[in-house]
Amino acid sequence: MAKVTREMVEKAGVNLDQLVELLVKNAAAELTTYYYYTILRVNLIGLEGEGIKEIAETARIEDRNHFEALVPRIYELGGKLPEDMKAFHDSSACPPASLPQDPRDIQAMLRVLVEAERCAVRGYTHLCNLTAGKDHRTYDLSQAILNEEIEHESWFSEFLGEGPSGHFLRRGETSPFVSKFLR
Amino acid sequence: MRRFTKKELAKYNGQGGTATYVAYKGRVYDVSQSFLWQHGKHQVLHTAGKDLTDSLAEAPHGPELLEKFPVVGILEDS
Ligand code: HEM
Ligand SMILES: [Fe+2]
Ligand SMILES: [Fe+2]
Repeated sequence: MAKVTREMVEKAGVNLDQLVELLVKNAAAELTTYYYYTILRVNLIGLEGEGIKEIAETARIEDRNHFEALVPRIYELGGKLPEDMKAFHDSSACPPASLPQDPRDIQAMLRVLVEAERCAVRGYTHLCNLTAGKDHRTYDLSQAILNEEIEHESWFSEFLGEGPSGHFLRRGETSPFVSKFLR
Repeated sequence: MRRFTKKELAKYNGQGGTATYVAYKGRVYDVSQSFLWQHGKHQVLHTAGKDLTDSLAEAPHGPELLEKFPVVGILEDS
């Protein structure tokens, strides 16, 4: 725990216990999404599936990165990861991104993917709102993650016929926004 | 349709195995089946068994997410 760090955040008027719990829930969402996306990705096969396999893989790796980037902040603020991984799973800020009944139904697959990203965009927007101008480091981290979640949403939404997103696939490194927290 | 007072609604707070109801703009929704309302708690900040009309204004989503859940009654003004 980082004593003065906590003190500064509390003094700024943030409810620290609530914030830490929210960060843990979002860390759970990241790790479980990483897991569920692994299943989605291996099922993205055939002509249509292969077309989105690559972005699903990038989104998957970046979610793992988000988990890794959140953990140090949780401990700095005096929080911890629950010992029981089942409880951790169930506390996730987002519902499980479960494989659709028919994994060959590409629209159903895309809906699972885009909904997971939308949940994340909502969660990090809220974390940014809670911390803006108060907890600068959590804000910076949440905002970096938010940037990547918005890109994930846009990649998948394009395939759902919601119009062009204006984005390209990642070229080179993953996590262009969050990588500074991973070094 | 069943009418709830605030006191009756408070019983359905999702704790100790009760159903999980929340009220929004006079309607009572049953969110017991939601992963995100387990044990009557939502995103750390909100608890079930209450009128959450005002709270939703600060949420990163609108009332449309309530639409897939059944309406089980009407919340009385009192
Ligand atoms: C600051 C307050 C709140 C936050 C941060 C929050 C956050 C969220 C998030 C991230 C989701 C997932 C959305 C998605 O899957 O895209 C969600 C879903 C939902 N929220 Fe909230 N919410 C808040 C307040 C409320 C309030 C006050 C209500 C009720 C009046 C509510 C009712 C719901 C419902 C019904 C769902 C859908 C659950 C499901 O599909 O199982 N939320 N919320
Ligand atoms: Fe993520
Ligand atoms: Fe994502």
